[in-house]
Order: sequence, then C-alpha cells, then structure tokens
Amino acid sequence: MTALRDRIGVMAAIGAMALKRELAERSWFWMQLVVRLVTMLVLAHFWRAVYADTERLGGLAFQQTLDYALLAQVLAPLSEHKLITTFSRLLSTGDMAIELLRPVDLQASEYAGNLAGLVLYEAFQLPLLVVAWGFLGLRLPGDPLTWAAFLVTLLLGHAILFLADWILACLAFYTTEAWGIGVMRHVLSTFFGGALLPLAMLPGWLRGVADALPFAQGIAAPTLVLAGVTPLAQLPSVWGLQLAWLAGLWLLSRLAFARAVRQVTVHGG
Amino acid sequence: MTRYLDLYRLFLAQRLKVLLEYRASFVIGAASVTAIQVAGLAAVWSVLRQIPTLNGWTLDEVLLVYGLAVLSESITHMFADNLWTLGWAYVRTGQFDRLLVRPVDPLFHLLADRFCHDGLGDFAVGLIVVIRSLTALDLHLGPSGLGFLVLSVLSGGAIFVALNLLTATTAFWFIESLPLTRSVYALHDFAKYPLTIFHRSVRALLTWAVPYGFCSYYPASHLLGREAGALAWLGPVVAAVLMAAALAFWRFGLRRYQETGS
Repeated sequence: MTALRDRIGVMAAIGAMALKRELAERSWFWMQLVVRLVTMLVLAHFWRAVYADTERLGGLAFQQTLDYALLAQVLAPLSEHKLITTFSRLLSTGDMAIELLRPVDLQASEYAGNLAGLVLYEAFQLPLLVVAWGFLGLRLPGDPLTWAAFLVTLLLGHAILFLADWILACLAFYTTEAWGIGVMRHVLSTFFGGALLPLAMLPGWLRGVADALPFAQGIAAPTLVLAGVTPLAQLPSVWGLQLAWLAGLWLLSRLAFARAVRQVTVHGG
Repeated sequence: MTRYLDLYRLFLAQRLKVLLEYRASFVIGAASVTAIQVAGLAAVWSVLRQIPTLNGWTLDEVLLVYGLAVLSESITHMFADNLWTLGWAYVRTGQFDRLLVRPVDPLFHLLADRFCHDGLGDFAVGLIVVIRSLTALDLHLGPSGLGFLVLSVLSGGAIFVALNLLTATTAFWFIESLPLTRSVYALHDFAKYPLTIFHRSVRALLTWAVPYGFCSYYPASHLLGREAGALAWLGPVVAAVLMAAALAFWRFGLRRYQETGS
C-alpha cells in the first residue's frame, strides 16, 4: 500500500513539474489562443456557407457539424505530445542513460507529465469554449452524463495517442530526423484524426485510411461524443474499440522500446 | 543592387551546401510542408465536391483563391523565413550584433542568412493548384492576364513579408517576437477562401488592416470576371505602402536596438 502511495506521489510530482514548465511561457499561451480563435472564426463562416446550399452533409446537419468543427479545434491539440522531440533530445544529449537509470518507469513518468499537461491545457481552453459558445453558435450539452462520457472517451483517446507517439518516438533511436517525423505525424493526426472536418464527409477510401490509424480515437471519438453526434447508447462499442486500440498499442509500445533501447550506446562524459 | 544580387547568390550557394549536407532533412522539410498544404486542400475538396457552390463560388473557383494564397505565402516562406527567428535566435542570443558589424545591410543579411527550402513545397503546391483550377475553369489568360497573375503573386508575397517584418521588428523592444508574428500571420487563413463568405468586418480587416485579401481573393475575383472594382488592381500599391511602412519601422527599431548583453 505504501509502495503504491509513494508511486502515485512520484507521478504527481512529475505532473506538477510539467505544469510549471508550461506556465512559464505566457506569451505563447496568448498566441495559441489567438491562432485557434482565428481558425474557429474561419471554420464557423466556412460551414455556414457550405450549409447554405445543402441540408445534410455526411449525414450531419449544420448544427452538428458546427459543434463538431469548433470542438475539434479545442480538442485536437490534445494530441500534441512532445515525445518525439523529447526522445531525440534525450538521445542527442545522452541523458537517455540517466532516464533509464531512474527508479521509475520512463513510459509511466512521461505519461504522468502528459496527463497533467492535458488537464492544464483543458483549463486554458475554457475562454475559447466560452467565445465559441457565446459568439460562434457552439452548443454544449447540458446533460452531465454526456460530459462524463466525453471525459472517459477523452482519457482513453489521450492514452491511445500517447502510445502511438511512443512507438513513433522509438524511431528517434534509429534516425536523426525527429523533426520530420513529428511534422508528418502532426499532418496525419490532424487530417485522419478528424480535426479539419468530420470524417464522415471524407470519400470512402480516405475514410478507410482514417479507420486504420489510431488518430481518430483521440480526436474524432471524444469530439463526436461531446458534439452529441454519437448517441450515448453507442458508447459501449466506442469504448470497446478504444480499449482494443489501447491494449494493442501498449503491447507494441513496450516491444518497440525494448528493441529500440538496444540501439543506444551512451559514452560517459 | 548588383552587389546585393551577387551577395545573395553567394549566401544561397552556401546555404544549399549546408542543406545538401543533410539530404534527408532537405527532402523531409519540403515534403512536410507540402503535406500540410495537401491536407488542407483535401479537406476543402472533400466538402466542396459534395455541394454545388460555396456562396456562389464553385470548387475550382475556391481552389484558385486557395492556390493564390499558398503561392503568395511561399514567397515569404522561401525568402523571408528568418524573420520568424529574429527574436529568439538573433536578438536574445546576441547573434544580431554579428550582422551589425558587417558591411552589408543588416536586414538583407538577416534574410539572406537562411533561404528556407520548406517554402519550395508551398510553391509547388500553390503553382499546381492555380494551374489546375485555371485549366478546369477553361480560363485562357493572355499575356496581360498572365502579367496580372505574376504581379499579384509578387505583391501578395510582399504583403506577407511586410506583415512579418512589422511584427518581427517588435523583437527590438520585447525580444520575444514570434508569438505576435504567429498571431498576425494566422489571419491569412481567411484569405484562403472567398472573402464573401465572411462577415463584413472580416472583409474590411483583410482589406484595410491586415491586407491578406490582396494576395488571393481580389486578384482571383478579377481573373474570374467578378466585380471587384478598383480593389482588383490595388494589390501592388497596398504591397508597396505596407513594405515602406515596415521598412521605416524596422529602421526605427534598429536605432533603438540594444544588445541583451547575454
């Protein structure tokens, strides 16, 4: 029992550190707020113009699409883990050796930091939600059950994307092109995760690609729940699919790291 | 002028040597930017192919606006990308002093220091999209139309550069200039669509305050034979005025510059 409490204490300390790091950069926070606000404004106008000529698109009515598009803007950056750059930095400085010597599992401690970042990030997004709700026509669910379901879907999705990134970050052991991998991953997750548009509007073949990648689990799935597009009755199958992704990716991530770590030789200095 | 052209060639040659030393980075850099543009285009295409028009604009017409915006953007991306780094990579580190003691114009030196190959991806995507939409729309531009197109893209590029220069110059006072540059730059997203789909205030903003509208919407309107009035031709004037203002502000900032002492 004490061991578990100690472990949770360590994870909480790591999480708190991540929060402090993030808060140190205030002007960056404002910048991100402005950038997101502009994107939301563009999207609100764009979708209004799109629906001027049509009733439904991809099975979605205007209000559903608007809610989805605006919420996706708030939620999509959740998928931005910095694991790939973290790994590449740890490797180029040799600090990876120190990380591996620590008496906590690297994956668990990175996850704790990420999770804390998620909470902080969500808190910072509240002004955006208020603006979108007050001025851009966003409708938020009043039903606490939907919010609870959303939180569960979000946590599962966040963990899935964390593991997917962990696997990609293992590539940093083999190549120095971490930056390129990061950008490519960003593009793929934005598009196939459903941050730009509801995936139901994609042509069939693109939809197939989106289904085969994990990104939609982290972006589209929680957004659809909060936008009220996914009925609560469907939640068991949504969560079942997320759990399957989670289990598969967890196994893969452990294997990938165990294999990749053999690549590294850190010389003393 | 010739001296500066010669110098730029030398800087560029050095830069290419550096880039080609890391070939994979070179390819990945250009490819990743291309991928970002392609994703945005794919989203627009996926939606618009299902509806007849967007506020009276067909898919190909919207793509012309989008393509012109990307093409203008590519100019600043290729030739003036270093403005993004002025704050954190030059002023904060004291590297800017290095530019001041050399017998060339510091702004020229800053821009020439780093030709950004990532912009080549933007340029390719923009060019392909513009050519494709012109062909699909069956628009045959004569020499004058082609001249207008080239002039529009060049002044569009100048507008992008001038706005980044204006915001980057604040680094001389605040050191960290990137957040402001990024915030203003974000507004160019509006210019990827026909401005008629936005509220009047947005249209006014993109025309008179942060004139990204002249990079894409106004020239596209003119090429498509839509009523744009004198605004269709105002792009080069707006670009010239904005650039003059940005240069004046830069010189003002330069006089106020004090090294950080780090």
